[in-house]
Amino acid sequence: MDHFKNQQVQQLPDVSVLDFKKIHKAYLKVILLTTIVVACIAFVGVYFLIEYKLQEEIPNYTVYIYLGVAVLFLSIFSYLIVGFSRRKYVVRDRDITYKSGVLIKTMTTVPFSRIQHVEINEAPISRLFSLASLNVFTAGDSSRDLVIKGIKKEEALKIKEFINQQINE
Amino acid sequence: MNSNSLFSQFSRQSPKGVLIIYLQLLYKALKVTWILLFLFIQRFSKFSESALIYIYVGLIVVLLFILIRAYLIYKNFVFKIDNGYFVLKEGILKKKNTSVSFDRIQNINFKQNIVQQLINVYEVNIETAGSKDTEIAIKALSFDKAQALKEALSEVKNPKRETAQTAESQQPKPLLKIGFTELLKVSLTENHLQNLLLFLAIVVGILQQLQDVFKGFGNEKKLNDLVEVDAATIVNSVLFFVVLLVALLLVGVISSFVKILLFHFNLTLFIKEKSFNITQGLLTKKTIILNENKIQSITVATNPIKKKLGISFVTFKQAVSGKVKKQQNKLIRIVGCKLNQIQQIKKVLYAYTAVEEKEKKRPNNYFKLKMYIRSFLALLLLNGIAFSVLQTSFWFFSNVLLVPITILLIQLKFNKQFYKLDQELLLIGSGRVETHLTYLPIFKMQNIKMSQTIFQKRRNIVDLVFQTASGKVKIPCIDKQEALSIYNFALYKAETNTQPWM
Repeated sequence: MDHFKNQQVQQLPDVSVLDFKKIHKAYLKVILLTTIVVACIAFVGVYFLIEYKLQEEIPNYTVYIYLGVAVLFLSIFSYLIVGFSRRKYVVRDRDITYKSGVLIKTMTTVPFSRIQHVEINEAPISRLFSLASLNVFTAGDSSRDLVIKGIKKEEALKIKEFINQQINE
Repeated sequence: MNSNSLFSQFSRQSPKGVLIIYLQLLYKALKVTWILLFLFIQRFSKFSESALIYIYVGLIVVLLFILIRAYLIYKNFVFKIDNGYFVLKEGILKKKNTSVSFDRIQNINFKQNIVQQLINVYEVNIETAGSKDTEIAIKALSFDKAQALKEALSEVKNPKRETAQTAESQQPKPLLKIGFTELLKVSLTENHLQNLLLFLAIVVGILQQLQDVFKGFGNEKKLNDLVEVDAATIVNSVLFFVVLLVALLLVGVISSFVKILLFHFNLTLFIKEKSFNITQGLLTKKTIILNENKIQSITVATNPIKKKLGISFVTFKQAVSGKVKKQQNKLIRIVGCKLNQIQQIKKVLYAYTAVEEKEKKRPNNYFKLKMYIRSFLALLLLNGIAFSVLQTSFWFFSNVLLVPITILLIQLKFNKQFYKLDQELLLIGSGRVETHLTYLPIFKMQNIKMSQTIFQKRRNIVDLVFQTASGKVKIPCIDKQEALSIYNFALYKAETNTQPWM
């Protein structure tokens, strides 16, 4: 790493050693609730499909279809639960970082100096738990650069306030 | 300051603007109703005399209506400069009042389509950053007025400009001027396959539209029969394939030439201070001022033939507001750059660095492995589909050709992928047949992303993606520790740099 000699002297702040904060626990309920709703709709759909269409054509296989859908949703559930603990964020003086992902792990950092505006969204189910999502926008076609879902609304407002303060400085 | 007072009162476009607006409205109307007109002409003889008169009267009324509308649009379109704001009032019934502050104005470009070229007026486009509906187009201005407007808009924005303006008045020599013969040469080095596909796509599009019309006449069958008979008799002959191949090649070359001619006719490039002034185009002549600040990254592209001729293409990527629609404004390509001209462009933009002399860093071997696995799966799928559709094992012989080509392309891509980095600039090499060199000043990035798939995790490597205001720049498959140090370094650069980045 000879071309980073300068960096060694400067002791650049390192993102990888930061103390990342997990998103709020209650958000897991939101995710699971949403998925359950989707799963219910899917099961009702499959039920009607089988009753009115497939029952005559492949009567022996209908059980497997139910099983398949169930397995699919079970794996989605476990994937979401594993993924949930990986969603972490950290705010520094000059930037905000978010990381997540199970199969593909990603970490994104947006410097405050590049932020155009910050938005706070509250989805219907999240609102029940007074949770919000923080959306950070930068210029260009990268539109929604960083989205942190499932943090307490007060926390989101605080971060937004902090970012606005830092931008205007 | 003289130009400033010129726009202190509301003023209109050049009166010729009525014609431009009229033609534009007419064109729009034609686009919607051309099938109707087509039908009308087909049945022309079947109409009775009295019906024809009604139709003519109707047509005249419509034309007159459009003319009046064009005049009213012209009449109601006024603009002025007021206290650091560009103010525009438009609309006949629904009035619209737009005002844009000068520091929101990104670019002021001139454009001339073929009609505007004929009657010698310029269209002035004012691009703004941010919200989507503040793109302003003034359809017709005389050259003097257009120039004055541009100066007025940039003067207030940047008072230092005035001294620069006087120095520039002695018309510098263009850095790059591409004549017709040179353009011909350039077009020969194009990617003909791509242009052929483009051309075919256009032809298929037109044919489909025609077929829709024929369907209405019940003639569709005739057309299909024609094609089928021809296909049946000719398809077996080898000669046909040879002729077809040569014809396709020819069409490819011609479409390359047409494309290059349309976009880059009379290409001239001036360097003024820290900005580029580019004029090009045949049917639509565009003049674009590229400011150093707005340029996010540049890409120098060349291929083996171009290398022989010593020419490259340079693509400037500039920041745009978040609309995909404006893709064409984002990328500004100039063709036929000689080596020393590229050197000069780089000198203007990146005088401070010597990134080229840095050590070449290459991606991990996994990058190659990933491509091999993906291509293998794709080939397997292709073979499976082809076999099940064609029901003959004859198809498998095509693999004799496909496999070596795939391997060659992967090897080429792997060999051309590299990156170099110094204190200011990131240089990324990529490409397969072509060679692309992308230069990105690190501090211009909007955000940075590191991603790692589970396959990459075992090898402790990651992908690094720089998001700029004009798209992504990616360094694939590099060591995680190294990526992290680049990550930290890039953030440091973006957070401490106070230069304007857009």
